[in-house]
Amino acid sequence: MAKAELKSNTKTEIEDSSSLKGTLASVFFIGFFIIVLWVGVYFLYLDRF
Amino acid sequence: MHVHKYEKIWLIFGITTLIVFLSVVGVSAFYAGNQPPSCLTVIDPEKVDSTAPFNEPGLKKVEGKDWDYELVFVAQAFAYTPGDVEVPLGAKVKVIATSKDVIHGFEVAGTNINMMVEPGYISEHITTFDKTGEYLILCNEYCGAGHHMMMSKIKVVE
Repeated sequence: MAKAELKSNTKTEIEDSSSLKGTLASVFFIGFFIIVLWVGVYFLYLDRF
Repeated sequence: MHVHKYEKIWLIFGITTLIVFLSVVGVSAFYAGNQPPSCLTVIDPEKVDSTAPFNEPGLKKVEGKDWDYELVFVAQAFAYTPGDVEVPLGAKVKVIATSKDVIHGFEVAGTNINMMVEPGYISEHITTFDKTGEYLILCNEYCGAGHHMMMSKIKVVE
């Protein structure tokens, strides 16, 4: 009886994760979005009596 | 420990932002003197009608204080006393409110005046009415069957 082939020939792709540029850009995007919201709400508060 | 340059940038940015936001709150509280509307001033809720200033609700001119007027409101299910009031434009007013029965809300729609009115406590808010118009006061704490009809009005007039 033939043994089931266990050896897999698919090669695991290892992504190059050394560049964090995209990560930095996306966290700054969210960071500035939060700041804009915060400042907007704060000025709304200051503008009203 | 190795920390990536970008991580350092982000951490500095995040911490700086946090410090700025918290400083604004701190300056507001300790320099500008902002405090919660109900700041431990107490009253006997059963004797509201005979306790000053709630024995005469409405707008009153005061002398020798940081504000020009005191606007006294009594809240009870399901109305405010006074039912509507006129305030001169530009007046610095201390709004003082309390409740005779359950917790009510006191929200002047479209303004920063928004406080809980609790039986046994006096809620206060100091503000300058610098825009003319008619402002609706609403109860925003569910107080019973007539909650949705509980309202009053402030007219800011020249």
